[in-house]
Amino acid sequence: MNQLFARGRAVALAFALGAAILATPAIGANDVTDIGSLDQQALAALPAFQTANKQLNAYGASLQKQYLGRAQHASQSEQQRLAGEFQGRMADKQRQLFGPLFGRAQVAIASVASSKNLTVVVDKRIVVFGGQDITNNVKQLLTGVGDPVPPVTTPPPSKVGYVDQSAIDQTPKVKAVTDDFLKFKQEQDKAAADKLKGAKTAADRDNVLKDYRKTLDDQQNKTLKPMVDSTRSAIGDVAKAKGLILVVDKGNIVFGGVDITKDVTDKLK
Amino acid sequence: MMGSAFRGTERAATASLIALALAVCAPAFLLLSGCSHATKAPAPAEKGTVGYVIMDDLVKKHPLYDQLARYDRSIEAFDLTATAPQVAASDPHLAERERDLQKQLNDAADRTRKLIDQKQKQYQQQESAAIAAALRGAGAGGPSAAQISSSVNATARQQQSGVATQAQRDLNAYRSTLQKQDTAQVNAAQKALSVRADRTYRAKAEELQSKESALSLKMASEDAPQRLALRTKLTSLALDDAAREDAQKQLAAIDRKESDALAAARNRDQQTLVALQAQLKDQVQTDLNAQVAAIRKRSLGSLAQRQQSLARQVSNLGGPAVRTTVVNGRVKQQVSNTLPPALRARIEQLHSDYQKRFQADAKTTIADFQKTRQDLGKRYAQLHGLDGASQAGAQAQILSLRKKREDLYGEIKAQIEREVRLIAQQRGIAVVLTDIVAPAGGVDLTPDALKDIESLHE
Repeated sequence: MNQLFARGRAVALAFALGAAILATPAIGANDVTDIGSLDQQALAALPAFQTANKQLNAYGASLQKQYLGRAQHASQSEQQRLAGEFQGRMADKQRQLFGPLFGRAQVAIASVASSKNLTVVVDKRIVVFGGQDITNNVKQLLTGVGDPVPPVTTPPPSKVGYVDQSAIDQTPKVKAVTDDFLKFKQEQDKAAADKLKGAKTAADRDNVLKDYRKTLDDQQNKTLKPMVDSTRSAIGDVAKAKGLILVVDKGNIVFGGVDITKDVTDKLK
Repeated sequence: MMGSAFRGTERAATASLIALALAVCAPAFLLLSGCSHATKAPAPAEKGTVGYVIMDDLVKKHPLYDQLARYDRSIEAFDLTATAPQVAASDPHLAERERDLQKQLNDAADRTRKLIDQKQKQYQQQESAAIAAALRGAGAGGPSAAQISSSVNATARQQQSGVATQAQRDLNAYRSTLQKQDTAQVNAAQKALSVRADRTYRAKAEELQSKESALSLKMASEDAPQRLALRTKLTSLALDDAAREDAQKQLAAIDRKESDALAAARNRDQQTLVALQAQLKDQVQTDLNAQVAAIRKRSLGSLAQRQQSLARQVSNLGGPAVRTTVVNGRVKQQVSNTLPPALRARIEQLHSDYQKRFQADAKTTIADFQKTRQDLGKRYAQLHGLDGASQAGAQAQILSLRKKREDLYGEIKAQIEREVRLIAQQRGIAVVLTDIVAPAGGVDLTPDALKDIESLHE
């Protein structure tokens, strides 16, 4: 396997050199030979991950029973405390089961990315065309004998950036707007549900739903859109300042890329 | 977290403000991307660059988007009606009505018990008076046996009248309660039947729409190579007018063929739906009639039973003539030994018979109330069950709709991706991404892809 891997690396190196020579006239800010993709669902289907998943599910079911047994006669505050405790235990188990697997997968991905001179590997779901699909290479490393070898070099800076949108959602301004909108939506949900109860015909129902959607759309345009625009503008400004081509969500980045979350959240403060 | 608020976007699952709102604010975003596109470098400089598309915008322009939006609306409607806590039950006052019923029955049972206690006291007083009168008649010139009997009968009639009035009141209250419950049950049944028919109709309509969509997609896919070849041919500058006209005619013929086939399918489906609607209407009416008849029959049965029970209770109220006292916690019935044997025997017999009937009546009355209460409780439980089944049905419908929506979205996305790949190859773009948060220097292929997607409508 190691020999195969070594041969693979040699071939990849040769290919990368060839590609670099061929692409020389186009090399610049938008050079793309360094973008790879990975089908994470394919990795999740590997036996090791499946086994860990089954173990986690079994543990979760057992915890659920224990929780119900203890929470049955507990006060509300005690139930909250118990829920926190059991969630913590579940998270610990998840780390225990998946931590080593994720660590090994990360090394394999880094190794393949390094051998292919990739600066960033994104989730295959967001790739419509092109890029280097490294799924099979990573699967081979993970299912082979022995542990994958970490790369000796760090990846060169990527032209693809990413932001942790959940962190941006938690910035005070964005959170306040989002919370307000959610509250508004809950009220509208209730009002629409009440109206639907009184609707006698399909046309009545359609009208209720039409009004409901329009109300939400109007509210979105009024409250969310300005915030979205300013956030997008901030992300775009940071990206341009750092010479990035595109910015994607952190959840779609598998390896590499440039994290600009902090710069964006600082700009939004 | 805001999935339903931002309909029609696959990004909802990421629960992200930006990604979700991109779909919502599509027009504004389109303007922005259009501006960036308008100022970007011309095509030859794009070779080897990174491109991107706004998938949500493209999906919205796809010929099958209407179908996708219909799924979204249906899911939204089911979400609102089936999962919103405030409409979890089809009859929001169900529990309240059940509590009312229980309270009324409990009150009626209490009244019955009080009535029995009252009768018991009156009976004891009557007995005491009768025995005292008999003793006085025997030794101190009291009333005669005939007078005692007359007095007993008068008191008994008075008692009977009071009990009959109270019984009539109870019966009226019970009848009113039953009528209310009947109305509630009929309304609930009508609602459940209508919901069921509506669901069946919608399911059929969605099934037919899916088939129409599948047919449309199939034809579009089958004709795609020919259509693409013709379009490519039409972009050629070297094409003469005759050849261009011929190619345009061929394109129009393809469109017409697809359009005709789809229209024929829609006509057939419409007829099917009209027939189904009529059939469902008849079925709902038949089922409702049957359920109404069953509810009425049950109520009339209960009412008749209750009426008979009260009638027995009233008719059994004869006048007692034996004194019952409680001495040191023990019930003691005393009939004076000085009474004439015939009178004494008659009073003892009356007392014995009355006591037996009284106890039996009391037992029957209480048992009757309890049984009625249980019956009504069961009927309400059935209503709850009906409601639960309706909720479960709605959830199943949501899951089914979501699956159909997911499948349709997959088909639409696959077709869009095919178009985008062709554009990328033509323009020499090396990699195309979607679901981007912000474009900084990539090539926006959305406008080109939009043109191709829109041409599918032609």
